[in-house]
Amino acid sequence: MSVPNAAATEDLSSEMEVDAFRRLFPLRYFERHLAESIRSDGRPLREARDTSIFLGAVASANGSALVKIGSTTMLTAIKMEVMIPSLESPDEGCLAIDFHMPPICSPIVRPGRPAEAEPVVSKQLSDTITSSGMIDLRELSLVGGKAAWMAYLDIYCLDADGSLFDAALLSAVAALSHLQIPAVAMNDDGKIVLMSDEDGQKQAKEQVNKEKRKLTLKSIPLSLTCILHKNYILADPTAEEESIVETHVTIILDTSGQLISLYKPGGPVLAYTSAIQDCVALTRQRVKELKSFLDKENSAMEVE
Amino acid sequence: MAGKSGTTPATYSPSLTTGKKKPLLLKEEDWTRPDGRGFHQCRPAFFRTGAVNAASGSAYAEFGNTKVIVSVFGPRESKKAMMYSDTGRLNCNVSYTTFSTPVRGQGSDHKEYSSMLHKALEGAIILDSFPKTTVDVFALVLESSGSDLPVVISVASLALADAGILMYDLVASVSVSCLGKNLVIDPIFEEENSQDGSLMITCMPSRYEITQLTVTGEWSTPKINEGMQLCLDACAKLAKIMRSCLKESASDAQDESS
Amino acid sequence: MEIDRPDGRSPNQLRPLACSHSVLHRAHGSATWAQGETKVLAAVYGPKAGTKKNENPEKASIEVIWKPNTGHVGQADREYEMILKKTLESICIRTIYPNTTTSVIVQVVHDDGALLPCAINAACAALVDAGIPLRHLAVAICCSVTDNNSIILDPSKKEEEKSKAFAYLVFPNTTVSVVPEKSSQVGNDPMAHGIITSVTHGAMSVDDYLHCLERGRATTQRLSEFLRKNIAPKSTREASKAG
Repeated sequence: MSVPNAAATEDLSSEMEVDAFRRLFPLRYFERHLAESIRSDGRPLREARDTSIFLGAVASANGSALVKIGSTTMLTAIKMEVMIPSLESPDEGCLAIDFHMPPICSPIVRPGRPAEAEPVVSKQLSDTITSSGMIDLRELSLVGGKAAWMAYLDIYCLDADGSLFDAALLSAVAALSHLQIPAVAMNDDGKIVLMSDEDGQKQAKEQVNKEKRKLTLKSIPLSLTCILHKNYILADPTAEEESIVETHVTIILDTSGQLISLYKPGGPVLAYTSAIQDCVALTRQRVKELKSFLDKENSAMEVE
Repeated sequence: MAGKSGTTPATYSPSLTTGKKKPLLLKEEDWTRPDGRGFHQCRPAFFRTGAVNAASGSAYAEFGNTKVIVSVFGPRESKKAMMYSDTGRLNCNVSYTTFSTPVRGQGSDHKEYSSMLHKALEGAIILDSFPKTTVDVFALVLESSGSDLPVVISVASLALADAGILMYDLVASVSVSCLGKNLVIDPIFEEENSQDGSLMITCMPSRYEITQLTVTGEWSTPKINEGMQLCLDACAKLAKIMRSCLKESASDAQDESS
Repeated sequence: MEIDRPDGRSPNQLRPLACSHSVLHRAHGSATWAQGETKVLAAVYGPKAGTKKNENPEKASIEVIWKPNTGHVGQADREYEMILKKTLESICIRTIYPNTTTSVIVQVVHDDGALLPCAINAACAALVDAGIPLRHLAVAICCSVTDNNSIILDPSKKEEEKSKAFAYLVFPNTTVSVVPEKSSQVGNDPMAHGIITSVTHGAMSVDDYLHCLERGRATTQRLSEFLRKNIAPKSTREASKAG
């Protein structure tokens, strides 16, 4: 028996089982769907997967969120610690973002060998949060020059099924919106300590942060990843689609409509102005949708 | 971010002002457990299979505040450096999230858990059924509040079953802590920290076989016997819950396909 | 609108370019590329047999190693590494030498702004020098949006820091597109109008970005002419040596 070549696939496809065809000729399988304007999971080309946000998933953290886009799952927790601010910016706190891909999330990650995407996504998330001006780091200050908050934001990918950056950014933003800065006081040694309710009445110590408070978030950055294949634009790709099509475009817009990032790392398909404008329009729509999800979750939290 | 620039400033987590960390009054006879359980009462267990789509099989469990996800990959090609082998290989890894413990980044020094998980599962898996290949079992402890390893082992066996790896039986694991005169089952973090000794049993309840038994600390022979019996009983009950979880997901799958 | 640039350049003016190739003896191909004070050295080794794990063995794979001028490899360097790899993969004809790996080592000599575009230009020149089959050339440019929303090209480090946002853009360049551009037709754009890679920093409006695209595209002509002029002699010399 000879190995079937590309020319033979046409004939084979009619008699082969769907699953076998999908594994052996992923590109043809993908294109057969595109020709019918539908994707292998039944979505229209430009539609994102079902998205859910759950705030407060990690009880021991100061702020946390669990986000699912399709089966891509991200768990984010923020822990607040105290640091001595740097001399250059004595009135500012700090936000440290780390993106983790533990071996449970995908067959290609092995223990001891961090995934290539880890540092890249971490860097992009930091850049995004910084350049959107979403957080005023001065709000994280406690005592000028002496103490400030260090917010450790850790994102864990629990299930990797494409569009990792979108899910990671959404979960980071959701966790920041859920973050409650604890009430603290400064004791005689100059250390910051947590205040329990009884202490609040005693007023013995110098209070630094009287009550629990939330950060004021200015415009919120949100993103959408699209893949380009020939003239098609597909929004929110799954891992399978990402492996078939190599041209990815990630657009980040903030809620005031500013472009925070337009990221297209290479890929065989060139992005023309019209395609870029289409992607921007799709992102604009998606950002609106995600913002409404986020607002709904947050107002539900307040009612409780 | 400024914090990333090489010189991350030293940080500390603010503690409670009133340093009255109530010490566990464990030596007393009439001591009650911090979460109000009876001495021989396990935390409520919740299991779910199929938590991670990217894996061949997976399971998630919550025992009180201990939350664990286990993914199973394979059987798949062994690493190239590995020699030929007639039987399958098992590869285990346990890791913690940075926020799993109350103070950030303290949960990562459990290097021995990976090899203990391996030993606990090895005896239950029919390795002959997948020659030349490797099955990877990866666990991530999302939140840790005591008895982490027993939970990881139980969830891992459930994930293996979900992946369709042949096993002689499900593996259930339970630990007890010895606190003064009392034996407490399924201890939480605070109890583990002040324990005099601990005993963990990993067993296959239907076959009444033990795959792993670890004892640490000070034990008298009658106490060990008592502890073992406690654990074995609890394992049998745990396995029942795990089995019903598997049945549920199997019947769900059938409903969907029909 | 006039903008004062510290070095007296006009908004569209690039810094002086310099390019030399075959600078390393052991490498299969190498090139340096300088834009003003920013200078990058790129070396190409390969194609070598075999691909790394997780790479498609049916295609030639490109490996990029980014060496910062000082200090350890950080997150930013890893990001550049990945962008460079994906960009080079898209210009190489990867079906010609399947199951091989070509290593591109990029050494930053001096960073004075527009580092990534400079590195992409250097890597592209080095690939040509090594004789790796390319679909087309890639030319990279940095456009920076200043506080009063005007666009300046090829900013220096100081200008980059002062600016509100900037975009690194990479355009394809073929001999066909050297023909003077006509007004762009909607729906049927010439190839040189597509972008291979886009990386942006900072917030800007979508219109600003589209302006950046236009301005960047207009300059690729000059950059590519310079690139072609500098790499041409070597290829003819090689041909005569071989013949």
